[in-house]
Amino acid sequence: MPMLQPSKKNGFLGGGDGRVLDLDTAVKDGVLGGVGAGGLGTGVVEKLDLNKMIEELNLSEVPSVFICPISLEPMTDPVTLCTGQTYEKSNILKWLGMGHYTCPTTMQELWDDMLTPNKTLYQLICTWFSQQYVQMKKRSEDAQGRTSELLTILKKVKGQARIQTLKELHQLVDNHSTARTAVVDEGGVTVLTSLLGPFTSYAVGSEVIAILVNLTLCSDSKANLMQPSKVSSVIDVLNEGSIDAKLNCVRLIEILMDDKGFRAESLSSHSLLVALMRLIRDKRHPNGHLPGLALLKSVSIHNELQSLILNIGAAPQLVELIPFLNPECIELTLFTLDALSSTSQGKQALKDCPKTIPTMVKLLMRISEICTGHALSILLSVCKLAPEECSLVAVEAGLAAKLLLVIQSGCRQILKQQAAELLKLCSLNYSDTMFISKCKLTRTIQ
Amino acid sequence: MGSVCCTQQHRRADSDEIEQTAEIEDRIERESKAEEHIQKLLLLGSSDSGKSTIFKQIKLLFQNGFDDAELKNYIPVIHANIYQTIKILFDGSKELSQSFSDRSRFHVSDENKEIGERLSEIGSRLEFPYLTSEIADEIETLWQDSAIQETLSCCNKLQVPDCAHYYIENLQRLSNPGYIPTKEDVLYARVQTTGVVEIQFSPVRENKRSGEVYRLFDVGGQRNEKRKWIHLFEGVTAVIFCAAINEYDQTLLENETNRLMETKELFEWVLKQPCFEKTSFMLFLNKFDLFEEKVLKVPLNVCEWFQDYQPASSGKQEIEHAYEFVKKKFEELYFRSTSPDCVDRVFKIYRTNALDQKLVKKTFKLVHETLRRRNLFEAGLL
Repeated sequence: MPMLQPSKKNGFLGGGDGRVLDLDTAVKDGVLGGVGAGGLGTGVVEKLDLNKMIEELNLSEVPSVFICPISLEPMTDPVTLCTGQTYEKSNILKWLGMGHYTCPTTMQELWDDMLTPNKTLYQLICTWFSQQYVQMKKRSEDAQGRTSELLTILKKVKGQARIQTLKELHQLVDNHSTARTAVVDEGGVTVLTSLLGPFTSYAVGSEVIAILVNLTLCSDSKANLMQPSKVSSVIDVLNEGSIDAKLNCVRLIEILMDDKGFRAESLSSHSLLVALMRLIRDKRHPNGHLPGLALLKSVSIHNELQSLILNIGAAPQLVELIPFLNPECIELTLFTLDALSSTSQGKQALKDCPKTIPTMVKLLMRISEICTGHALSILLSVCKLAPEECSLVAVEAGLAAKLLLVIQSGCRQILKQQAAELLKLCSLNYSDTMFISKCKLTRTIQ
Repeated sequence: MGSVCCTQQHRRADSDEIEQTAEIEDRIERESKAEEHIQKLLLLGSSDSGKSTIFKQIKLLFQNGFDDAELKNYIPVIHANIYQTIKILFDGSKELSQSFSDRSRFHVSDENKEIGERLSEIGSRLEFPYLTSEIADEIETLWQDSAIQETLSCCNKLQVPDCAHYYIENLQRLSNPGYIPTKEDVLYARVQTTGVVEIQFSPVRENKRSGEVYRLFDVGGQRNEKRKWIHLFEGVTAVIFCAAINEYDQTLLENETNRLMETKELFEWVLKQPCFEKTSFMLFLNKFDLFEEKVLKVPLNVCEWFQDYQPASSGKQEIEHAYEFVKKKFEELYFRSTSPDCVDRVFKIYRTNALDQKLVKKTFKLVHETLRRRNLFEAGLL
């Protein structure tokens, strides 16, 4: 039977005769289930704050013996009960404080309420996390060094080599925040931006955009990217790219719009809106709908761009899309249509689409107050354009009953006013009795 | 017995025939399958838009270029261009000296007048003599005359070909007895395309041959030849539409219509053709180098399509600004002329200078990439 030799070497357990493993070796060799080998020499462990390390590392695979059975989180102050089970001190105190006098895992009744600090386990946890931390720091530094190298290479190479460099840079920037800062600090943004232009191939363009999206861009960089030829490159990728590339483009455009110096005319491109509508209507990739609609909403706020949206026939397409969208998307779509309905061209387009009125009527009081508000606003705009014709259609679609619901509901005052206005507008064409019969609530609404 | 022999012979003949027919049908099937894989590109555009130059460039880039015999074939064309140019300029100077108030500008000096008359007479013949050094010297002298230079500056009213400067600069070389045209000389040569010309090629990618095969068609650009294009319209993969953007202040050969308006009309017409519903459109805004030179001197507003143009700055920035404006106009036109269900077709705009081989190569690489991605997309692989 191996004898434990008290040893002052290494500051931890065990000596050097090989029968008892010292802590670092035990962790390094994975005896305790440590993830990833190598790294640290013996004894040189920084006394870093354990909580800080755990939080920063945010690892998903921590050895199970380090996890508190109550919170399922790594323990920072392990204590052991008389049953031999170990818990995080604050958690077990809470448990006992609630009046339970049992061991949570074994369900045994406690014969002793003593909480013994599990020093061994604590030291194991500290060492293990320290190792992981140091490894991560090293990887980050490596990432930073490699990023600098890649940026230098990028300035010189062309063709396939350029594409490979960009791909590697993309990987680094995706995984390491140090890489991201390195790119920004070393003028990488300018280098990347210079790669976008009228002769950018798809392969290069999509990688550059994928990298840029991860970085924090200063105002100057954003202004630089808003140059027409570069915006064209982004729009090209948005038009032709894979779904991931398209999503990156959408994000990048949003980043660029989020700047004080942003001018809407730099985005006044039919191709952009066509590409956006294509993304929104792509049934094969539903994950593109929400980002696409969000960007469309941001675009529709700008007056200069509204006519472009209407020119490509987006209004009827959006109306016809609504039945297939989830509530969040519907809200964005309604916002856009509402914004468009403020122009005369928009009103006309909405009126010309036969599905507008029935769809809007259906949406009243269906999803949310905001949606109802937009639907009301759109209905008002359309019906005011051609009161007789539209109110007929609207009433046939069951508008009257819905409006009554709005008025009687707890919605904001302004919505009730709008509903009342619309009701009055529609009732002008009917005799009283006819109108009241139209107001009869159908069973579903009841 | 004889009859049996006869029937046997018949049967053998029959079976031979059947075999032959089967073989022919087999070949037809194989060739049609091969045809399907050939992607057809159609070069369209109004006259003088640079279609044929692009055609020549593709030949130089992806085929074996021109051999000596083909190069020599261009000598009469080049000489003809020179004669035509100087004739146009001389006749133009005479015309302008009659219609302009300060006629002295356009008065050719007396010695040169004689040369001018002679050259003009040569230029009006159907066949031209070989350009000798003596004639070349005379042309050069005439060219130096201030009146001719003045006429040149008003050249938007005349039909001076764009190759004028280039050929005059190289007159000595071109008039050498043993002259063999260079690639560049051939690219500048201006001859009206009649009928249809086609070449088949495979884009060479970094010294490897990729699998795609393209067949490029070049058609005549003059207005009276458009009907010849019609039977080609079915099934093309892409239309490469060339528009020379420097011609916004020039008029047509046939009448007084502004050239760029003519291009605009043609583009609109082509976009609306039902046979092009699924066709990709590559718009080449060509002659960018000439556009660059012109746009700072002649405002864009002289063309009624661009009358709402506002210059924003000066120098290089202004050139970019003007180019973006023109590009946007074409984009607008495209989307106006495209019905909502055709909006899915590929539409890209490229800035080109058809005489610059490197640029054409880069541009074509991008076109090729786009078409490949489109194919993958349509096959559901993207």
